Amino acid sequence: MLTVKKSQQKFIGLLVLFTAIILPWIVVVLYEYSTQQVGGNSEVMLVNFKKDTVINVDHSKFWLLQQEFNDPREVTKACLTCHNKIDREIMMSSHWKWTRKYVTEQGDTIELGKKNIINNFCIGISSNEPLCTSCHIGYGWKDSSFDHNDKNNIDCLVCHDQTGTYKKFPAGAGFPVTKTKKFGNKTFTPPDYNLIAQNIGKPQKENCGACHFNGGGGNNVKHGDIAREMNQVTHDIDVHMAIDGAKMNCTDCHKTEHHNITGNLYSIASVDDNRVSCEQCHTGSPHTNSILNQHTDKIACQTCHIPEYAKVSSTKMSWDWSTAGKLNNDGSLITEKDSLGNMTYFTKKGSFVWKNNVEPEYVWFNGNAKHYVTGDKVDPGKVVKLNTLLGSYSDKKAKIIPIKKHVGKQIYDTENNIMIIPHLFGKDSTAYWGNYDWDKAARVGMASAGLPYSGNYGFISTEMSWPINHMVASRNESLKCTDCHTSNGRLNSLTDFYLPGRDKSNFLDSVGIILILMSFAGVFVHAALRIINRK
Amino acid sequence: MKRKTYIYRGFERFWHWNQALLIFFLAFTGFEIHGSYKILGFENVVRWHNIAAWALLVLIVFAIFWHFVTGEWKQYIPTTKFMKAQISYYITGIFKGAPHPTHKTIYNKFNPLQRLIYLGLKIFVIPIQVTTGFFYLFYVYPDNPIHIVGLNVVAIIHTFGAFVLMAFVIAHVYLTTTGHTPLSGIKAMITGWEVIDVDEKEERQNNLMNAVNESAAGYYRLNKEGIIEDVNDAWLEMYSCKSRDEIIGKHYSYTRDKKNLAELDNLVTRVLNGEVITGMPVMRRCFDGSSGKHLLSANPVIEENTVLGLEGFILDIKESEKLSEHMYFTVRNSGAGYYRLDEKGVIIDVNSAWLEFYKYNSKDEIVGKHFSITRKPDDIDELENTFNTVMSGDTITGKIATRRCKDGTVGKHILSANPITIGNKTVGMEGFIIDISKLDDKSI
Repeated sequence: MLTVKKSQQKFIGLLVLFTAIILPWIVVVLYEYSTQQVGGNSEVMLVNFKKDTVINVDHSKFWLLQQEFNDPREVTKACLTCHNKIDREIMMSSHWKWTRKYVTEQGDTIELGKKNIINNFCIGISSNEPLCTSCHIGYGWKDSSFDHNDKNNIDCLVCHDQTGTYKKFPAGAGFPVTKTKKFGNKTFTPPDYNLIAQNIGKPQKENCGACHFNGGGGNNVKHGDIAREMNQVTHDIDVHMAIDGAKMNCTDCHKTEHHNITGNLYSIASVDDNRVSCEQCHTGSPHTNSILNQHTDKIACQTCHIPEYAKVSSTKMSWDWSTAGKLNNDGSLITEKDSLGNMTYFTKKGSFVWKNNVEPEYVWFNGNAKHYVTGDKVDPGKVVKLNTLLGSYSDKKAKIIPIKKHVGKQIYDTENNIMIIPHLFGKDSTAYWGNYDWDKAARVGMASAGLPYSGNYGFISTEMSWPINHMVASRNESLKCTDCHTSNGRLNSLTDFYLPGRDKSNFLDSVGIILILMSFAGVFVHAALRIINRK
Repeated sequence: MKRKTYIYRGFERFWHWNQALLIFFLAFTGFEIHGSYKILGFENVVRWHNIAAWALLVLIVFAIFWHFVTGEWKQYIPTTKFMKAQISYYITGIFKGAPHPTHKTIYNKFNPLQRLIYLGLKIFVIPIQVTTGFFYLFYVYPDNPIHIVGLNVVAIIHTFGAFVLMAFVIAHVYLTTTGHTPLSGIKAMITGWEVIDVDEKEERQNNLMNAVNESAAGYYRLNKEGIIEDVNDAWLEMYSCKSRDEIIGKHYSYTRDKKNLAELDNLVTRVLNGEVITGMPVMRRCFDGSSGKHLLSANPVIEENTVLGLEGFILDIKESEKLSEHMYFTVRNSGAGYYRLDEKGVIIDVNSAWLEFYKYNSKDEIVGKHFSITRKPDDIDELENTFNTVMSGDTITGKIATRRCKDGTVGKHILSANPITIGNKTVGMEGFIIDISKLDDKSI
């Protein structure tokens, strides 16, 4: 009897010990699972988000807008009759000036903009103004003599038209056509200014998109993350602008006061101000998981939430000018297209590479960028970075952002070692398009920009970084931990910090593995000797 | 001396096994974070690694508290004593079946190598893992007032620490098999009990101390001036004294009536002069005014050749014992003969009447002999039967027997016999004989 009792006691003792060890584990596991489910179903939290209210004014009742308009400038004059201080707001905006103030490394304040920054698409505006300025919010910028101080040159309608019928002619220096005219395979008709002026309103996606979707001369060419399809996009492409989602307009994020539209695109912008951020609505800690919230110190929202861009129409990844100028035997222009209809070669422009559903590249970015400014020397042995996004791991303000890297091969002066702005467009004997003579085009283009040209030219590789901010995916499609926390992950090119799951000290890992193998070996040898000696 | 001993207490075992589970779990999740394999998914293992880290921290806080409160931290003080012996035991001795060079006791659970390794874990490896783990978790973000530039250093140290811990676990688990039996170490860590060496001297001291404390005999100690310095519970009970405070510090005269005091004074003087009293019946005066009788022993307390006082035991002589005494004398002086045999039939005691019947001169002549000596060869079987019957539990109340005396003559007597039992075991036979040689057969 006594021994039975003792073994029972012993059993109960062990049971208590076992329970004491296991119980905390069970409690923690159950608690974790219960909280995890609550977190998974939570709604997206927003702060400060407010859609613009529309002021209810019927412009069709104003007699001023019922007059006959022969020239769009008369419309502007009519607008400014009532909105009589708005011209000053417009004239301070970068949409009008096409420049921004920039303090150089030497401390000089300069105006930096399209007139002195080049890209690796159509390169530069000097001598090509009539074509480029069809996207300027003004009338008549056909050469450097354009008067930025004439308020009647302002184009109100391109942003405020709500009829969808107002179109600027692509080669008209900002003017619509006065007579029906063709450009390529598109037909342009003179706008009905009365109808348009009487139906104006706050800018919609279509207004902004008229220029911004078509940067680089076609749909989605430049940005990769904003394209014409944004007008009718679905939730799986962009959760914000989706017609079956948040139905947001550009200006819902790009908040605007006194015609200053927030937002910088660092292909041309340089300074960390006037920016739009996800945090303005989503806050800096939008996740229920605190570890994800800690990531926002170093990782921009876009990095995880835009896993790919160019989800509908293709975007241009590479533009090689050096192959341009080839003609068919009969003297006609050569056009080659890929299976999606994207042009892969065109005599006027050279060779292109297009891509769809592109995985971004990633860089550190602190909100400031450097640019190649016309006249800067280049190193012929190196790829020229036309813009450089600044930042590094050790930069407290820098975060990892996704970018589209656009590479180019474009003309430069092999003697002066400076980039060349060629004269591309014009109905003259020197424009490259029509004459296919780089020397003449370079000579005229550089003279127009006030830059020297030696007469010797070559082609050099260039690179541009375009931050990706749109086409935000739904939560389920955002990046997972192991997209980066793994060897050969998305952040493989960013090597200036230790990334768990990706990085290791090969030496200490080897030492550790050898240590463990030696422990096992020691155990086996020792145990074997013990067993042998026992017999 | 080996003894099954409770060596690992409940908390110790709880701590050990939970720590073991947590270390395994942390290693399993940690190496997935490290990119060594993909099983639970990165997000999950990060979350679980963090939770387990917190759990381990809580456990460590409790364990530190426990180690200091119980003084068990002293087990980890490193020593070089027997270090060489221990190393050579693992390298050579163990294969030859040599004994462990160090002996595990509850006061010295770990051999010198264990002390060194465990201490290294406690003050070096685990603190480094905890510290680097915390930097890993909290101090890489530039918003913190204290922060580090990158994870590079802490991550590498943390990972290497994990390798070291894993190597330790492998060796540790293996070395548990080097105990008395391959599984005795692990069993002990589960049940708390292990067969270990016991310090004989210490054990004996404990036993003796315990014996004095718990004894039914009263213990007392006086100093040279005759002041009572200590008594045990049995003493207090015999004197009907409620608490030790009432008697400690008083003179021994307090324990006697005046008429009996001189006897005690005499005794104390003799003992303080070096004499030892082995047993002396005395009368005590109890605290409730009654008196009692007890047997007293006394010996001097000597330290470094100086007599510091005296001490001894007292055994109560109760009324029932007086009765036993009376019966003892009855048996001793009775006209009936008394005998006592052990379980083998060897005579171990007889009284003087028995000796007279059998014509022996002294007890020494017969004690130690087999009962067969008391019968003629023809009658031995009968006594054998009687002996067997009684040894199987029966009592014989009266039986006529013919005895063979020392000189070969015979006599008749009536015999009684009963088994002697201690507990439930029969250890012998005893009984009385009454001589009937002088009676003729008819009257019987």
